[in-house]
Amino acid sequence: MTTHPHHLQLTTVDEQSSVRIELHGDLDYDNADLLVQEATARLAARPALTDLHLRCAELGAVDSMGLCALLMIARRATEAGVRLHLDDRPARLERLLSLTGTLGHLTAPPPTRPPAPSATEESAGAARPPGPNSTT
Amino acid sequence: MLIADVQGIVARCNDAAEALLPAATPGTPLADVVPDWLRDAHVGLNSSGARDAPEAGRAAAGDIDGRYFEAHPTVRDDGSVAWWLVDDTDHRLVREALRMERELSAFLAKASSVLLSSLNLERCMDVTAQMATESLADAALVIAPARGHRLPVVTCLRGGTPETATVTVNPDAVPGLGEALRGFPPVPSRWMDPGGAPAWMKPEGMGPIGSIVITPLPGHGVPAGALVLLRRAEAAAFSEEEEVFARLFAARAGAGMSAARLYAEQSSISELLMRELLPPALHQISGVDFAGGYRPSADHERIGGDFYDVHPATVEGDASLVLLGDVCGKGLEAAVLTGRIRNTLHALLPFADDHQRMLNLLNTSMLSSHHTRFATMVLASAVRRGSAVDLKLTSGGHPRPLIVRADGTVEEADTQGALIGVIPAIASTTITTSLAPGESCVLYTDGITEAKGGPMGGDLFGEERLKRALSGCAGMPAEGIVEHVQMLASQWLGDGSHDDMAVVVISAPRTHHLSAVNGHTRGRYTA
Amino acid sequence: MSTGTTHRLSDAEPAERSAELLWNAVSAGDECAAADLLLRLLDEGADPESVLLDVIARVQGRVGEEWAANRMSVAQEHAATAINERAVAALSTHPAARTATTRGRITVACVDGEWHGLPARLLAEVLKLRGWRVDHLGSQVPTPHLIGHLHRTRADAVALSSSIPTRLPTAHAAITACQAIGVPVLVGGAAFGPEGRYAKPLGADAWAPDARAAADLLAREPLPRPEPDHQQLDDLPHLADQEYTLVSRSSAFLVREVFTALEDAFPAMRAYDDVQRERTAEDLAHIVDHLATALYLDDDELFTRFIAWTARILVARGVPASSLPPALELLARELKDFSRAVRILGAGTRALVTDRTTAARITA
Repeated sequence: MTTHPHHLQLTTVDEQSSVRIELHGDLDYDNADLLVQEATARLAARPALTDLHLRCAELGAVDSMGLCALLMIARRATEAGVRLHLDDRPARLERLLSLTGTLGHLTAPPPTRPPAPSATEESAGAARPPGPNSTT
Repeated sequence: MLIADVQGIVARCNDAAEALLPAATPGTPLADVVPDWLRDAHVGLNSSGARDAPEAGRAAAGDIDGRYFEAHPTVRDDGSVAWWLVDDTDHRLVREALRMERELSAFLAKASSVLLSSLNLERCMDVTAQMATESLADAALVIAPARGHRLPVVTCLRGGTPETATVTVNPDAVPGLGEALRGFPPVPSRWMDPGGAPAWMKPEGMGPIGSIVITPLPGHGVPAGALVLLRRAEAAAFSEEEEVFARLFAARAGAGMSAARLYAEQSSISELLMRELLPPALHQISGVDFAGGYRPSADHERIGGDFYDVHPATVEGDASLVLLGDVCGKGLEAAVLTGRIRNTLHALLPFADDHQRMLNLLNTSMLSSHHTRFATMVLASAVRRGSAVDLKLTSGGHPRPLIVRADGTVEEADTQGALIGVIPAIASTTITTSLAPGESCVLYTDGITEAKGGPMGGDLFGEERLKRALSGCAGMPAEGIVEHVQMLASQWLGDGSHDDMAVVVISAPRTHHLSAVNGHTRGRYTA
Repeated sequence: MSTGTTHRLSDAEPAERSAELLWNAVSAGDECAAADLLLRLLDEGADPESVLLDVIARVQGRVGEEWAANRMSVAQEHAATAINERAVAALSTHPAARTATTRGRITVACVDGEWHGLPARLLAEVLKLRGWRVDHLGSQVPTPHLIGHLHRTRADAVALSSSIPTRLPTAHAAITACQAIGVPVLVGGAAFGPEGRYAKPLGADAWAPDARAAADLLAREPLPRPEPDHQQLDDLPHLADQEYTLVSRSSAFLVREVFTALEDAFPAMRAYDDVQRERTAEDLAHIVDHLATALYLDDDELFTRFIAWTARILVARGVPASSLPPALELLARELKDFSRAVRILGAGTRALVTDRTTAARITA
């Protein structure tokens, strides 16, 4: 009774070349930071990582701050050359991602390292990191 | 001790009683030699049934020769009464002092509680003036520090209501007032010759003034003003204790007034900054009806992460641009971002005709490597053509606008695009449609559809419920639809917490033939 | 355009005729006709206050009656109200309605959660006509906004409007908050019960049955400054038993429990579609809300009036009111440890028995 039923809980499983974070509960204004911290820590701890899986089957409501967190994780993953996967997406998340036109951006493969000019050109629309960290 | 018999004749008097009442020798009638209060007590005791219960004899009390005595009766077997006289003067003085002290501290406590509960300067001045006349003076003036040469003054007569006025004077022309209003250096209360007081200081209907004292109201680092106490000619002048007390009262009044001043300054600053962030009031522009409603997530705030604007066309005949959006986050931080977006879009108005270009330019201007804060929004261009309104709608990652047709059909505008501010290159689709008279287009933020509650609790209001409600809104005026949607959402929420909620309705006004409509045939109008 | 002399419409037949014309315009959704009509009345020299109260307020009253009799939907009610609102706005710009400020300052607001904004709007306009400086904060005013406004301005009084009884606990909080900062409160609106009987227990400084009476009352003498250190609990000592808190907090739970139990008792409910189920749940939620409010005021009649009214509304909508007694009984079973709640629900059931004869006559 003491824990809030919708409070976000994270379970992280390390696999050979990937990390899987399982999300339970709501990803919202109050706890979106939690997921960003966890994902950032894993990306930093595993330089050879190729894939980051967020398992969303048990994910509850996602508000705008939740989506903001997913976008930040996608950006950090791209910078680290890691591909983000949003697995087992519930219908509500699917709707949110399609409404906001973010699904392609969130799960696009990172530009190959070192960047081959032709490949970056092709995926630029979806995956080029903006700002000073831009690789092109 | 003094004994008197049933007939009220003094029977005995001990030395102490004799010293006090020298005339009370045995055999003299009580009535001739003791004060009335003691005689009455003796008569009362004889006539009442109290004689039967000697211990129940009630003590009497009163003055004897300028001192205060209690007289305790003991009824003796022969019916005579022994009155034991106890000098209570000192006791009484202490008790009286204590009562005064209590009254004064109760007064000061009341002053603090009343003054601290209001953060309004004028109300604090009223209360100070009124309370000062309750126990300190026949009339009181509370003077706030000058604005220029104009002094705000509240005047109150005892038992009257405080009156506010502004007098144009140089405070230094009144001895003691200038210093008191400056608040520095600290100055004591200052007496003033009533004859030398300017006319504005003498309240109307007060009569001849006997004494005036000016006390500074200490603020905290800022001058709070001055308290002027006036007494009538026939009243006693201020004693030293009363002056001390007046200073204690002034300290509380000054604290209350300076807090109110600080609050007023702060709130006028935030008011000024917030004015830019508040949603505008909407109305009809060039034959198109617009209405909007906004409820921020926190009840104590008036701004939040949702926003809307309607920009009339610069050239008559062009479309007005409506924008409604939502930035992620809540409260002031989100509101500041909405302000930036609204300003940027305002600057981009020359491109209002090309929604995608506007969204792309806004997107580029918002990209930042530091965060992934984004906005979703809908752009709508609306222009009257004949009796219809032509609409162009583009969504940037936002819930699709809903169109309420005349027959109650609710359509989703099929526009889609990416959210703004995170993805480097965005694409969106624009749709065009037309509203017949009485038809409306409803733009809303997800705070409406994501409102959690309902009779069973925990359900989302949802898009379906919104569409169902809107299908009953065919032909309604734009304000009516906004109000209806807001009411349904807030009823759904009950007392639950919620996100920011915004609704904007664009309507084609109905045209009418109303020469002979009778009340029971709804819908007799031409479209 | 003002003719210099204005006439009151109230006792004359023209008021009724004008109201009828306005009703036609409003019920046909014709705002232009509504505004034209009112402006013409002013042009012809009608007293603006009379136009507000004897024409517009009368039509608004009829809107409520038509809704109760199921001749108008909630959406149509909102449409009519929006037109009346616009008509009031149009009227306030007429030269005849322009008045110089000769009196103090009054803040007019609706309690939070109260969306019936027109009565307060009418009062605001009447007070302006009588020479007050009026700050009209509108409907659904959160108490923190109201208090912030009072700190920033020196209002002589607050006029607080509420028509829904279930907003009374919120109204009480607002009244106490205004008084705590030294501003007296005048209340009005149907929520405060017949003859304004709930105004006093909620600590209001004054009550008025309508806008005209409110304006008269404020003109007579200033409301006295409220005593400091007023405690809410002193008004309503029975709140110490926590029944109000517990019932209002578990409202959704109670609705779910009673709904499920009703389905067992009335198998026909299982065939309800989503909308019907939601209506039923909403009706139950209203019952629980009114029960909570009756507990707040410890007033059985608040509840019995609501129940009798609900029964009549249901009958007018062709819904059998026979589900009401079992609903009250199931609720009483859920709340068996709450002695005041059980007493109030019992009174509700008895009211239905006496009211049923009336209801039966209406359906016949």
